[in-house]
Amino acid sequence: MTGVGTNRVAIIVDGRAVAADVEPRTLLADFLRDTCGAVAVHIGCGEGTCGACTVALDGIAVRSCLMLAVQADGGTIVTAAGLAALDGPPDAQNLTPLQLAFRAHHALQCGFCTPGILVATALFLRANPHPTRAEIVDHLSGHLCRCTGNVPIIAAIEAAAGATAP
Amino acid sequence: MTRPLRFGTRTPRREDPDLLRGEGKFLADLIPQGALWLTVVRSTDAHAIILGLDAEAAKAMPGVAAIVTAADLPAGLGHLPCVDLIDTSLPVFHPVLAGERIRYAGQPIAAVVASTPAQAEDAAAAVIVATRKLAPVLSAADALRPESPWLYPELGTNAVHVTRQLVGDPDAAFSVAALVVEETVAVHRVGAAPMEMRGCFGEVEPGSGRLVLTSTTQIPQSVRAHLAEILTRPAESILVRAPRLGGGFGLKEAMYPEEVLVLLLAERLGRPVAFLEDRREHFRSAVQAREETIRIRAAFAVDGTATAVDVACLADIGGAYGLVANAPGAAIANARGGYVMPNFRSVATSVVTNKPPLNVYRGAGHPQAVLAMERVMDKAATALGIDRAAIRRHNLIPAWMLPLDRGISYSGLPRQILDSGDYVHAFDMTLEAIGYAAFPARKAAFEAAHPRRKLGLGLSFMVEMTAVGPDEPAEIEVLPDGRVRLHAALTAMGQGIETVLGQVVADTLGIDLDAVEISLADTDRIPFAVGTYASRGGAVGGSAAAKAGKALIEVATDLGADLLGVDRSAVEWSEGAIVRRDGTNEPLPLVELARLAASAGRADALRASVRFAVPDTSFAYGAHAAIVEVDTGTGVVTVLDYAVTHDCGRLGNPMIVDGQIVGGVTQGIGATLYEEIAFDAAGRPLTQGFFDYPIPVAATAPRFHLLHLETPSPHNPLGMKGAGEAGFTGTPAAITNAVADALGQDLPLTRDPGPLSPARIRALLREREVAQAAGFSA
Repeated sequence: MTGVGTNRVAIIVDGRAVAADVEPRTLLADFLRDTCGAVAVHIGCGEGTCGACTVALDGIAVRSCLMLAVQADGGTIVTAAGLAALDGPPDAQNLTPLQLAFRAHHALQCGFCTPGILVATALFLRANPHPTRAEIVDHLSGHLCRCTGNVPIIAAIEAAAGATAP
Repeated sequence: MTRPLRFGTRTPRREDPDLLRGEGKFLADLIPQGALWLTVVRSTDAHAIILGLDAEAAKAMPGVAAIVTAADLPAGLGHLPCVDLIDTSLPVFHPVLAGERIRYAGQPIAAVVASTPAQAEDAAAAVIVATRKLAPVLSAADALRPESPWLYPELGTNAVHVTRQLVGDPDAAFSVAALVVEETVAVHRVGAAPMEMRGCFGEVEPGSGRLVLTSTTQIPQSVRAHLAEILTRPAESILVRAPRLGGGFGLKEAMYPEEVLVLLLAERLGRPVAFLEDRREHFRSAVQAREETIRIRAAFAVDGTATAVDVACLADIGGAYGLVANAPGAAIANARGGYVMPNFRSVATSVVTNKPPLNVYRGAGHPQAVLAMERVMDKAATALGIDRAAIRRHNLIPAWMLPLDRGISYSGLPRQILDSGDYVHAFDMTLEAIGYAAFPARKAAFEAAHPRRKLGLGLSFMVEMTAVGPDEPAEIEVLPDGRVRLHAALTAMGQGIETVLGQVVADTLGIDLDAVEISLADTDRIPFAVGTYASRGGAVGGSAAAKAGKALIEVATDLGADLLGVDRSAVEWSEGAIVRRDGTNEPLPLVELARLAASAGRADALRASVRFAVPDTSFAYGAHAAIVEVDTGTGVVTVLDYAVTHDCGRLGNPMIVDGQIVGGVTQGIGATLYEEIAFDAAGRPLTQGFFDYPIPVAATAPRFHLLHLETPSPHNPLGMKGAGEAGFTGTPAAITNAVADALGQDLPLTRDPGPLSPARIRALLREREVAQAAGFSA
């Protein structure tokens, strides 16, 4: 329904074009999940603290719960479901090198926070392919994980960065 | 050649690929198209009488389908359950919606259903609730004062549940003790705070009319049974399912008003009704944990032998019972942990206050009980001039004394018989791992280089009930394509249960892991079970899975003999196939057997249903040690090193067990140093989200040193005990003891509730300085 109180939003989500009319107050996270079917976007707090809903918007990590859908109009979004676009070719199970490193290091348990961490980390490693441990820890400051104790996540990122080193 | 066993290996987790691709199928991903949305109107008062409620304007708002108050609920609707009451427990049950009286800020008052979540929230905000405020009761100590208001005036008291234990003759032991140590340990309120919040949706199944609840619950079978009572309907007319949970930790081992409301409203409105909590709401409507004050006295002989312990626990359970009333009592009964201490007395009192209900959280009451006992051990060592490790070693139960009946019993739980292990060995391994012998030199060198900063090393030893019964069901079937599907009652919540059960079934049948499917937590398949809690899933669920696999081998071999037209004794099961004992023909693999059975119209024969009866509780144990740095200027506590030697029997998947320990320790660090659910003077929650509820992050992670012993449990065929709660259980004690070691055993770290935050550490140090300057303190 187009009409009073809605705005047209057209975005590309993991390679798929989506256009819809939304209320101005609609959060990008809700738009991605409810309208675009991007269920890899997990809502853990809705207030920008946990990082689970992080997506790449035009190559920048954003918390989709802190943006309005209308602000993303015209943008290109990558979620964990399309991580290959940020991280390199996937294997037969459609897992990228970063995802495989997380699996190998038991860097996820319930997996609820994982998609946001993956997207943010893929962008982080593009900008800083050989981070120090301290830089990884600093990078993870924007993400909450309640299960793993974070140590395995640091190890997985170190391994992924090492694996892509020349 | 025998196929290598999966059990005991670091098998990569089967649930990972879905989760890594964001295809985890969490509750929010499963809500049916066209569902209506529930928002709950919650009390903003902590204690009040509802005078009136006006929803007329709200009902007229866009998209609103229904607004329901307590008066609109069906007559005879029950209250939320509590599962471990005893004869003397007083009735303080949580209503689905508050009727006359509000007992905590956040308590549900009305249910609003609309077409979208936003419309439901808009309408909820327009519901007007008129109340007469009452004075709130905000601590257990206040609740017991004579002048305190009663939350349930008809009861004439706020103390609603008391359990006692007595072993031996503690009074006699105290009367001849060389040293009596007394300590008060006040533990503040925290929350499990899983990354996925609560959610549920209700539907009416077309045709059958059954009510179908899908919920973020660790206990779908129990929820079904409770729903039948609350709704006064036959349990057969209700079906409950749990998808994968984004963390549980006991917060989802509960029953919530929304689980009742979505079913009632789905039936009334003829459409699915869904509820998703938001994070602000979470901190006032999900169950909370731990808040209690323990007073402990222990009697020691001059050589450091602890002869008696007397412990009293006062728990602040909030405005009504959670699902479990006696977590403080059950755990305090276990306060001796791994120490001999032949004489013992405990009393645990639960008191109602104007806060959200208290329930279990990882370790239930154990972490608090361990903290109290371990503070006492440090105090006794200091008073007697005995090394802290030596006094613990001296009092630990030696391996030859196991099994040891502790003489404890509590309602609804089995006897407390410490079954197996080598406590002293585990303790020594931890001392080695943390560098206990070299620590004084490390401390001296560090403090010489950093005058404002102190190092401390803390020790703790924990024993806890795991792998509890009474029993665990499993069903197994062969699919038409020859793959095997195991149905378990358990809920997946990050603990890797799909992987562990898969390992067990693959090993039992001698088939590939990929040929095993795991189906979980669906009461349509398995209606009766107790749930996923108390570190029981791997051990008892795994044992049920092994039993199901063995039963399948029997029926498959019977059928194979029949279809091959040979005598049953001529064939046997080997490596996922029927083979002739005389080796005269090719093995008949399961996939062929399934095909033959289908063409013979006997596919239904390839299934089995079992129930593994748990003979007794397995007690897992562990020795923890922490090294912390404390900046006496800022008050910041940093955990540098953390060592755990844990014995959970045989390790089904060592990678998963290590993950449980590290994750649990990390939550324990959070609860000890950072986290607190706080309330203002009117009882309104100050904790709104992760901004003011800081949980541990990568930057706060210590170096971990993990070790295991593997003493098989005698109580299940896999020899497993539980590991899920072990990390948390020893941590508050090890960290607190480390801070005490850094700053002085005289600093009253546990006198008042609250995390050991920078502000609190600075205040305690300042208090001591003032007292010393005034000449008040030794």
